[in-house]
Amino acid sequence: MKIVVAYKWAPNPQDAEVAPDGSVDWSRAKGAVSEYDPVAFEAARQLADATGGEVVGLTVGAASVDSPLARKAALSRGLDRLVVVADDRLADADGTRLAAVLAAAVRSIGDVDLVLAGDSSVDVAEGQVPMTLAGQLGWLGMAAVSGVTPSADGVVVERDLPGGITTLALTGPAVLAVTTDAVVPRVPGMKDILGAAKKPVEVVPLDALEVPDVVAATTLSGSRPETGNRRGVIIDGADASSAAAELVAALRTARAL
Amino acid sequence: MNVSTQTWIVVADDPAVSGLVTTARGLGGAVSAVVVGRKSVADSVARAGVDEVLWLGEPGDGAPVEAYAGEVARVLAEAGAAPLAVVGATTPAGRALLGAVAARFQVPVLAGLRGATLEGDAVVVERSVLGGIAERRVQVVGGPSVLAVAAGGVTDEGTAAAVREVPAQPLGAARVTDVRVKEQTGVDLGAARAVVAVGRGLKAQADLDLITDLAAAAGAELACSRPLAEGVDWVAKERYIGISGQHIAPELYVAVGISGQLQHMVGVRDAKVVVAINSDKAAPVFAQCDYGIVGDLYEVVPALAAALRAGS
Ligand SMILES: Cc1cc2nc3c(=O)[nH]c(=O)nc-3n(C[C@H](O)[C@H](O)[C@H](O)COP(=O)(O)OP(=O)(O)OC[C@H]3O[C@@H](n4cnc5c(N)ncnc54)[C@H](O)[C@@H]3O)c2cc1C
Ligand SMILES: Nc1ncnc2c1ncn2[C@@H]1O[C@H](COP(=O)(O)O)[C@@H](O)[C@H]1O
Repeated sequence: MKIVVAYKWAPNPQDAEVAPDGSVDWSRAKGAVSEYDPVAFEAARQLADATGGEVVGLTVGAASVDSPLARKAALSRGLDRLVVVADDRLADADGTRLAAVLAAAVRSIGDVDLVLAGDSSVDVAEGQVPMTLAGQLGWLGMAAVSGVTPSADGVVVERDLPGGITTLALTGPAVLAVTTDAVVPRVPGMKDILGAAKKPVEVVPLDALEVPDVVAATTLSGSRPETGNRRGVIIDGADASSAAAELVAALRTARAL
Repeated sequence: MNVSTQTWIVVADDPAVSGLVTTARGLGGAVSAVVVGRKSVADSVARAGVDEVLWLGEPGDGAPVEAYAGEVARVLAEAGAAPLAVVGATTPAGRALLGAVAARFQVPVLAGLRGATLEGDAVVVERSVLGGIAERRVQVVGGPSVLAVAAGGVTDEGTAAAVREVPAQPLGAARVTDVRVKEQTGVDLGAARAVVAVGRGLKAQADLDLITDLAAAAGAELACSRPLAEGVDWVAKERYIGISGQHIAPELYVAVGISGQLQHMVGVRDAKVVVAINSDKAAPVFAQCDYGIVGDLYEVVPALAAALRAGS
């Protein structure tokens, strides 16, 4: 089985600075493999090991998604090889454009049976890219996947849905977005990190892919949401019962109880 | 591309569509629905305040709802002029339908919606982006505005729109073989006046008793951070707060042993009073609370429960 793992190299918005006009300064935020994507790497590795398949990592984004550090971070997590589309023309690309580029890359990799992705990215966090990717490919797309295991003729997919824990027999190509319930990702060891340097990386130029035109949203204006207007009264809890009494009194005064 | 005044809602076998209908109605034009799933859902949507329902037929042979996503997009594309807007739910299946629609028209999906209005003949969308750190007013020119919104509840407007069946061919890639119904907790955190939430500061599942006791003393519902509901199974999934969990606005929110990461705190941005209990005085939660106690939850929580009971 040939499995592609779509992962994102992204900064945590927690570390970004937002100006009053809503513009975001990322200079103090460092990129990393998006927090939940290692779950997809691990699920893919386990599936491939059980079926004798290959795991191909795939990321698309600005030129910065292809640094030596970024390559190593991905390749040390159980991939066989990496495909990257890194181009500054994708710096502010929205989800549908990213999905269109990902779809073109999946097509160019060829003979892909399954795409695994994270449940949502650390920066955008909308859980939409994998589902739009499925749309671009004309494949089945399923989110909330809490388990993927091999079966005789394909893959057994488990999903944690409001209607219940749903089991499916998957026989065709699909994009699956996995939650942290699926598997516990490995922590890369020294061997994995050293091995990463030897694994092949294919850099695919954006212009080499057949990507359809995608309409982008026009930003009219921006703002920074009102936060930080909380009182911020901090009580020392060394003496727990006096701290508790002080808090209860304050909450009663604030009519919060 | 010519854009009409027609708005569609796309429904993935879920009668809870009030959020979709409200957003679609706000755009002024006619509102039609495409419904994937059971006839009973199509009938329910027909009474939820739409003008017309296209139903893709009873799903046969265990096809998951998502197998119809491409067909939903096709129905919209073939319905005449391109729609003004297409509104769907942020649920897992809702996002699959929206993804197919976005790919069909090659337009963005706009989530984090705070409002959508018609200005002239264009849809102007206010949305919260990047986990809630910034807000944007945006507009899509040259294609439908595809909007992802909270599903809302089930509504019955009294009158039923016509339901028309249109044939559809689902993808055959997957078949549902089993559904294990979960224990319904029936919890409604959104309605709770006070909520006590616990995070990874809790050392063992058995220690949850401490937290439920505090919740009882405060007349509060129990909630948690994501790591306690996913991965480990200490607390039910519908009780975790945050960007991918519940968004709530109680009078009082108490965060116990929760560090205060953005992805968690965005879920209680609208809470009236936020209290934090954390042993690390540098925890980010202290910069986002009204009252904080720096201390060990294993000492502070029982003391707080006792103080609440003593005063009442
Ligand atoms: C795409 C994405 C979506 C996410 N969505 C969500 C979401 O919806 N909801 C959510 O909650 N998280 C979400 N997260 C995860 C989030 O980023 C944090 O990892 C998570 O909220 C941390 O949970 P926590 O505060 O319980 O744990 P930690 O960050 O580990 O914090 C534990 C805290 O407990 C304190 N502590 C330890 N011992 C004690 C003690 N004895 N007494 C008192 N305090 C103690 C520590 O000082 C620490 O501050 C998401 C992440 C991503 C990437
Ligand atoms: N630029 C990208 N390149 C590769 N995969 C991505 C990219 N953006 C998002 N994904 C995948 O889609 C998941 C959900 O992202 P999002 O829709 O942004 O919340 C991520 O966890 C990744 O697995």
